[in-house]
Amino acid sequence: MASSSFHTFRRVGIVSSAQTNWRHSWSQAQHIDLISSAVNKALNGSGLRIEDVDFVIDSGSDVLDGRSISNCGFLGAMGAHHKEESRVEDDGLWAAQYGVNKIASGSADVGLIIAYAKPSEASVDQFHSTIAEPFCQRPIGFDEATAQGFLAQAYLRRHGLSEKTFAEVTAYAWANASINPNLNDVSAIGIDQILSSPFAATPLRELMMARPVDGAVVVVLTSERVAARVTHTPVWITGMGSSMDSGNYAMRDSTFSACEIASKAAHRVAGIHPKDIGLVEVSATSAVSELLTLEALGIAEAGCGIGLYRGEHKTVVNLSGGSLPAWPVFATGLVRLAEASDRLVAGKGNRKAIVHASSGLGAQSHCVFIIEA
Amino acid sequence: MNHVAIVGVGQTHHQRRRADVNVPGLVREAALRALADANLTMDDIDSVVVASGPVLFAAVNQPEKWVVDALGARGKPVVRITSGGGTGFAGALAGYYQVSGGFAKRVLVVAYDKLSEGALQYSISSLYDPFWGREFAVGIMGFSAAYWRARMDVLGHTEEAAAHVVVKNLTNAQLNPFAHVRKNVTVEDVMNSAPLAWPIKLLDVPPISDGAAAVVLSTESLAAKSTQASAIIRGIAYCAEADNAPQRSMLMSEPLAQAARTVYRAAGITNPRRQLDVVEVQEPYSCFELSYYESLGLCSPGGAADLITSGATLRSGDIPVNASGGCLGANPIGAAGLIRLIEAAMQVTGRAGEHQIPGAKLAGAQTGGGWANLRGFAVVSAD
Amino acid sequence: MYQAPDTFLSDLAPLQSTISLPYQLTPGRGTGTFLSELGRKRLVGSRCLDCQRVELPAQDFCSCGSSHLEMVQLSHQGELRGFTTKINTTLALIRIDGVDCDFLHRLVGEATWEIGMRVQAVWADEPKASVLDLEGFKPALETIKNSPSPLTDPAAPMDVMKTSMTLHYQHAHGPYYGRLFDEMRESGRIMGIRCPHCQGVLLPPREICDVCFTKTATWADVKDSGVLQAFSVIHLKFVGQTREPPYVYAEIILDGASTKIIHILDGVDIASVPKTIKPGMRVKAVWKAERRGSLSDISHFILDTPKS
Repeated sequence: MASSSFHTFRRVGIVSSAQTNWRHSWSQAQHIDLISSAVNKALNGSGLRIEDVDFVIDSGSDVLDGRSISNCGFLGAMGAHHKEESRVEDDGLWAAQYGVNKIASGSADVGLIIAYAKPSEASVDQFHSTIAEPFCQRPIGFDEATAQGFLAQAYLRRHGLSEKTFAEVTAYAWANASINPNLNDVSAIGIDQILSSPFAATPLRELMMARPVDGAVVVVLTSERVAARVTHTPVWITGMGSSMDSGNYAMRDSTFSACEIASKAAHRVAGIHPKDIGLVEVSATSAVSELLTLEALGIAEAGCGIGLYRGEHKTVVNLSGGSLPAWPVFATGLVRLAEASDRLVAGKGNRKAIVHASSGLGAQSHCVFIIEA
Repeated sequence: MNHVAIVGVGQTHHQRRRADVNVPGLVREAALRALADANLTMDDIDSVVVASGPVLFAAVNQPEKWVVDALGARGKPVVRITSGGGTGFAGALAGYYQVSGGFAKRVLVVAYDKLSEGALQYSISSLYDPFWGREFAVGIMGFSAAYWRARMDVLGHTEEAAAHVVVKNLTNAQLNPFAHVRKNVTVEDVMNSAPLAWPIKLLDVPPISDGAAAVVLSTESLAAKSTQASAIIRGIAYCAEADNAPQRSMLMSEPLAQAARTVYRAAGITNPRRQLDVVEVQEPYSCFELSYYESLGLCSPGGAADLITSGATLRSGDIPVNASGGCLGANPIGAAGLIRLIEAAMQVTGRAGEHQIPGAKLAGAQTGGGWANLRGFAVVSAD
Repeated sequence: MYQAPDTFLSDLAPLQSTISLPYQLTPGRGTGTFLSELGRKRLVGSRCLDCQRVELPAQDFCSCGSSHLEMVQLSHQGELRGFTTKINTTLALIRIDGVDCDFLHRLVGEATWEIGMRVQAVWADEPKASVLDLEGFKPALETIKNSPSPLTDPAAPMDVMKTSMTLHYQHAHGPYYGRLFDEMRESGRIMGIRCPHCQGVLLPPREICDVCFTKTATWADVKDSGVLQAFSVIHLKFVGQTREPPYVYAEIILDGASTKIIHILDGVDIASVPKTIKPGMRVKAVWKAERRGSLSDISHFILDTPKS
């Protein structure tokens, strides 16, 4: 299969995916238990065996895992023994981006994209505060919650809205999550309950922030040739874009311009307009980031993202519930890809979906995929 | 046929400690040098890959989020790859696929480590399973020394043979302006140096370094537009091995052998010793270089001691290895794998200056990391 | 699909693990100058000589790409552009007079904060070479506007900032490690798990074989003695080391297992180890009197010499 040259860029499809249940705490399982079970489930019934896998790209965090070079300790569970493997220490959707590139180049046919997290074993606050620049940001207490707080204050001011908007987004997310079979410790929560929860970072309340969960997710990517042999319902990745904003938080504007750039690139490659897409799965660490993302993707006008939660648009957002009720940190974007892909296969949306991931404090970096069934 | 080309390379002058720049400043230096070498600016770059060693080496999680501004890459796709010691090379591999997969036409890959800032052995010790052995860990030095001891009996990788590696690499480093270890040693000096994790002794160990390196990768067809001297990647592969695998051999690095086979096939190499003009290997300790000779097929198993003592891997030999001085000359770990690729590219484009191997046209670059279970190899040629 | 049994009885509490590391970070010239000057109650930014943009904190290069910067002394006042309160700390974005970007810091004291209000710097009584030598900002008592001016009599830039990172973890055992350590604690018994395909016995045990990815099957007893596969003699001292050197680091294949364990070999004369100890020698475990369910229940290994 080795080739050092390439002619054209081949089509890449998702043929299978699997998620463990996402739980507040998988206290009876280690990282490797969750990873190997997701890999097994993704391969079972896919028509592919572990021997067919050419490479593994995994997403994980040493700081969250409590182990340096954590990928080298988890290789067996990932099915990566004697295969090409690489660790993207960022959200899993970037790992998927890498996998797509590898298959598109013609260098391989079958890849496992793996992402996982066990935030219950660590401190998510520590994970975030260690991202902050150590001289001027970290000692003052800058972290993810405060980064979101600033965005939320600016959003409400700019558009003359109240925190009820954030509560609506949150209630919608939890309602959808409560019927998501991959989550079993989630029930719907009401607007009043959300508005009376304590403040996390003003004006955001605790229930408006993403809730960390443990679990693992695997997406199987293949070339067109292999997809044709193993499934009737491949989901093609037709566009990808990513963009990172400044690390100097004070220099960013309070909209997601990097998300706009990533989105435009993905849509340009796919030859499609965001408003033509039926389904969207976005990542966020708070309710305001969901709104900012949807607006930056071009699905709703600035300040009008809430319309998507009121059924005012053809595009349906976060049928899975998104990441507010169930936030597996680095695995978030890959879960969004699996959820969107599953729904396209089930006939939801108009056979097209936008999938989004973000990372870094205050969503510094964004990755956007367009997928089509 | 459209290959991926290395159209620009840059390194900082590696040092024990760079007190004058922070991490973003260090990274920026290497990036600007690679861009200048490629006759390009950041505006010409479509995508950036950042590679650095484990985050616990320095105190910043997701450091690519910090260095993006220093690179002038705000707004561009930026992603960080990490793979223990093999990180720099793994970053180049990710960039390679971005180009060959059509995601980007020009990619800047920058790799670095600022090892002066942390507690290296202790932070590496956390690579061990917290349940099973971490309390006994001695960084990677402990197990590397133990594996070497095991190879001594079966493969003849003696302390003297490893000492010859040290003498060769430190001699070569004198001619490498980017290396910072400037000392002349004899085999006896190495043999008499203090044991740290016997058989690994003080002089068997690379320095701790601050340094960064960068390459610009582009499609072959674009390469001609930006520079005269580009190196073509003829084959590149990376292979992993489960650290708890029962059959894990300490004698031969199977993942390295597998990666090498893949690359030799892609590059049309059937006799590496004869066909390669120069090889760069990433030796975390001197003993590893002996092991790599065998895993790369430069000699048969058990032949490494003879290969080094025969002088074949000297700059004047028939298969020079580490003409740059290798890691023994400079070891900013996260960059080391990329530096090997850069040195290989410099050799085949005739730009290795005083440590140029005359007439070099085909070069190999090896990398490795983790629990000696992540291994990579590439072959580059002049275009 | 993995079903970690919810009813699995494991009274092994999660493994508490702390990674605590010291660091000496290099701030670089811009940040180093900014931090040193805070100790002298001065706010120092940088002005780009190419595009004239003024940034705070002082930078090493401008967002326009130029590295031709001069350090400038700034007003202590500016406009509050945003703020957020988390528990007892209020972070703020402040546009200091004459600066082209916001500055991220804190608000201090009790006040009714409003976006647009003028605020002024509050200095710490005792500088500690940190960004908190500037305590934060409070409402400005009177409006004083100063433009950025070149920095005179600059302090030496801070060239290293000592800091540390202490990270706490609670690692779940999972059923496989759970049983392993349960048996070790209760019965001083080591158990691995067999892969039905490649027949290896994996220690530590896990659900899936690392090599062939087959689901593992039966548990197997592993003896507490075996073969020394590899070793090295540790003389090196390093931060965080759990044992005083010199000692022998050992990799051992216990009888009945296919994988190695890592441990210590004691009861040997360190000076003669290079000559007398060889891979292939037999070793046996010495257990601690009290077992907790951990690899350290084995205190160390010793040579297992046959008795005549």
